[in-house]
Amino acid sequence: MTAMGDTVADPAAQVSEQEVTAARRTGTFGRIFRRPSAAVALAFVVLLVLVAVFAGPLAPFDPDDKNITSALEGPSGEHWLGTDDFGQDVLSRIMAGTRIALAVSLGSVAVAALIGVPYGLLLGYMGGWVDRIGSRVIDMSDALPGLLVALALIAAFGRGLWSVVFAIGIVFCMAIARLTRAVTLAERNKEYVDAARVSGLRPPEILFRQILPNLIAPLTAQASLMLGAAMIIETTLSFLDVGVEGVSWGGLISAGADELRRHPFLLVPPGAAVILSVLAFNFVANGISDVLAGTSLGSLRSKACPSAAQLEPSASHAKPLLADGSFRPDGVLEIRGVTVALPRPGQDPVPLVEHTWLSIERGEVLGLLGETGSGKSMLARAVLGLLPRPTYLSAGSVILDGAEISGLPERELRGVRGREISAVFQNPTTALSPVHTVCRQVSEPLRIHLGLSRSEARDRTVELLELVGVEDAASRIEDYPHQFSGGMAQRVAIAMALAAEPKLLIADEATSALDTTTQAQVLDLLLELRDSMNMAVLIITHDLGVVAETCDRVAVMYAGQIVEVNDVTSLFDTPRHPYTAALLQANPAADQASAGRRPTIAGRVPPPGEWPSGCHFANRCSFAQPACSEQPVLFVDGVRCLRSEELAQAGALR
Amino acid sequence: MTGTELLELRDVTVTFTSGGLLSRRNPITAIDSISFQLSRGETLGLVGESGSGKSTTARAILRLADVDDGSIRFDGAEVTEFGRRTPLWYRRSVQAVFQDPKSSLNPRHVAARAVTNTLRRHGVKSRSARNEAAAEAFERVGLLPAHLYRYPSELSGGQQQRVAIARALALDSDLVICDEAVSALDLSTQAQIINLLADLQHSADLSYLFIAHDLGVVRDICDRIVVMYLGTVVETASNKLLFEHPKHPYTRALLAATPASHPRARERRRTRRAAHRDSRMTSTPPRGGEGCPFRLRCSSVMDVCETVTPPLQTLRDGSEVACHIYSEPQTSVAVAGCSEEA
Repeated sequence: MTAMGDTVADPAAQVSEQEVTAARRTGTFGRIFRRPSAAVALAFVVLLVLVAVFAGPLAPFDPDDKNITSALEGPSGEHWLGTDDFGQDVLSRIMAGTRIALAVSLGSVAVAALIGVPYGLLLGYMGGWVDRIGSRVIDMSDALPGLLVALALIAAFGRGLWSVVFAIGIVFCMAIARLTRAVTLAERNKEYVDAARVSGLRPPEILFRQILPNLIAPLTAQASLMLGAAMIIETTLSFLDVGVEGVSWGGLISAGADELRRHPFLLVPPGAAVILSVLAFNFVANGISDVLAGTSLGSLRSKACPSAAQLEPSASHAKPLLADGSFRPDGVLEIRGVTVALPRPGQDPVPLVEHTWLSIERGEVLGLLGETGSGKSMLARAVLGLLPRPTYLSAGSVILDGAEISGLPERELRGVRGREISAVFQNPTTALSPVHTVCRQVSEPLRIHLGLSRSEARDRTVELLELVGVEDAASRIEDYPHQFSGGMAQRVAIAMALAAEPKLLIADEATSALDTTTQAQVLDLLLELRDSMNMAVLIITHDLGVVAETCDRVAVMYAGQIVEVNDVTSLFDTPRHPYTAALLQANPAADQASAGRRPTIAGRVPPPGEWPSGCHFANRCSFAQPACSEQPVLFVDGVRCLRSEELAQAGALR
Repeated sequence: MTGTELLELRDVTVTFTSGGLLSRRNPITAIDSISFQLSRGETLGLVGESGSGKSTTARAILRLADVDDGSIRFDGAEVTEFGRRTPLWYRRSVQAVFQDPKSSLNPRHVAARAVTNTLRRHGVKSRSARNEAAAEAFERVGLLPAHLYRYPSELSGGQQQRVAIARALALDSDLVICDEAVSALDLSTQAQIINLLADLQHSADLSYLFIAHDLGVVRDICDRIVVMYLGTVVETASNKLLFEHPKHPYTRALLAATPASHPRARERRRTRRAAHRDSRMTSTPPRGGEGCPFRLRCSSVMDVCETVTPPLQTLRDGSEVACHIYSEPQTSVAVAGCSEEA
């Protein structure tokens, strides 16, 4: 990679070089070490292993050395943990017992994995009747009590180390098989497995070389939990005197229980050893699971910090930039200098949206156009007061009909959402609860916000569903969301959003998941509703076609900033920002014959935290000059570009 | 049709059965007796809405779904008669690029392994030769050597899709099936990938089966287009004919619904859609029965549509349409009535 540095000329390559430094190569296990609880637990496990291996030379006494004269002593300088009823040193015996405890738990989990992993892989990959029968076997094994199975197996095979290991391994193998099968099923449907099959790879290669590596992390977490559980079973078996013969923790606990009256302390050291070991295994397992469950925000936080100069958010935190002439301060909704940031431990917060000014008038359809990473959805969430933790509104305010709603307590915000502003999101099935009927979900806001009675709310629900074009609404309101097709479910979600006749409807990629014909119907519906209810609509989309079909005015967002605001026809005819112009040129359209090669924008949208300090688009812009990168570019007269006027006059942006 | 067909599907039917341990539910017909051809060097578009059977068609050709009936011929060989083991030459000739660039790469393998794994399977024994070929493939798709040893999570969506394309091209294949290969990409990245596919087509003499729901992309790059609806082919036509003179009522509805590229036309388009719309617009008939699958949504429905499934017939201009309007002698009126769509 160092060799690359000097030969790179392409901005795309520069961006990706930044990425390398940003995305630090830390594997799952590296990240576990960053969690204190898991790191301590892991250290304890390592200590256990060392003790087990070197118990002989390390132990202060021979664990079997008897000395009746010093029986049942408490802790002393000579015997740190005291002595037992035969005068044997407890510390030495615990150290010796570590061997059996670890050997049995490690061995049995290994046996469980050796049986369970191939079994689960087979079921998950083969599917069909193999899976159906095999899964029943796993289910049946659930019905058997593990300890009894282990006891029965030991009774059959005898009391040796191997038979105990095998017995406990059998108890656990089905749980491993179940996990393996579940992960394999999920992975099997991913496209990389299809791609491997298309490449001609054989099933064993796909199973062991492609799928298995993805299983290792969840299996390690599960195995770590099982180590603790196996240790408890082993202790129980030894306590019952059916475990491995020799010095064991279970045996020590058993001996302590016998002397409970005379010398209760004898129970404490072996008990503590078991509890601490099991806890350690569980914490390690938790550490692995936490890392696996890491969200995208988490990965953003773990990214390396960009240089201080980049992060200094152009002093925007200190003094919010003033609105320019294109901001109309009489809208239903006013977004005033909104900045959304993501805090990072020990570092400055990363801005996700930077001092955004925008207003929407009654009856207006405003489009917010942007690619992935532009911050458009974050802005919508800031308006709704629904920013995902830990992001927060670090500057600016949101004003609805003259009253500030940003910073309101959640209780009051709930009254605003649904009643004054409502939203429709991309996936209708997540907006609707699967366990309630459509009637209940649409009528609830009517009863809460408008105080309608049950029957009034029901009548209104039918009206609303008819309004959004649900056929035969009266008979369908007792249906559940899954009984509706995707387009119909989105109509129901819109009906729900409209129930309280909000002043503003936010549609966040509301039609992106729908088929073309359904999308057209839903967009037409939104416009009809705008006309009949005179509400403001904020349409958030990445699709220029949706903008062209629906919007009156458009705000174009790029890397957290609004770069251009204009009325829709002017935006399409005479874009004023190079980014807008480039998007329009890159957009293939079904109503124009192919123009041959499409002009492209080199590179990609820089992720938050890696925004350039000057114009955010400068490193991808074909008109950029050194001045563009020197300092933040202000939003002036509807556009954020130093050369806008000059370029427009030269006709360079057509 | 000219004898240079690389791929020919004839009456291909794929059904899925699902069921529990003891019960078997009724099979679902995913694609019902579909036919089309793809010539060498051609880019054939396959469009339709979700549930139209586009992806099942791709999976049948890739032998990821079992074909119940019909014939798939590739380069003279009958693909449906391969048996359980797909011959390696077919795996080499027919490759795929899938929709989700993230899930189409193994998250636990560095990007280079997507290429080297495939090469090893196809007999490239030496490790250094494989690595060299991977570096070469990366260069062809516009990736840097530094990208070879990155994990997919360290690459952007566009870069991931380039790796997937590198994997598909590493074997000198003849046909690449692009299943919504650019749908998940941002607009600026999408154009980069489309241009790359076009460049590679020229340099490597490739044919593409390009599956997409975005008609804009399809119009941009496809030579001919197959329109599918509910598991059947309803229209096949050249790019120009399909977009300028769409014939099947479904194709026309699809084009009317596709967002315009400029706000200028939207009022006209909206009134036209309103005229087409009726309350049954979203209904679909049960699959596999007799009658036209589009009859419940069609604005030009006739009595015959309820009872007879229209066959795919070739018209004078070379396009193929499955619609009764075109089988009746007095069709000229109806055709004239709908071709103003363009």
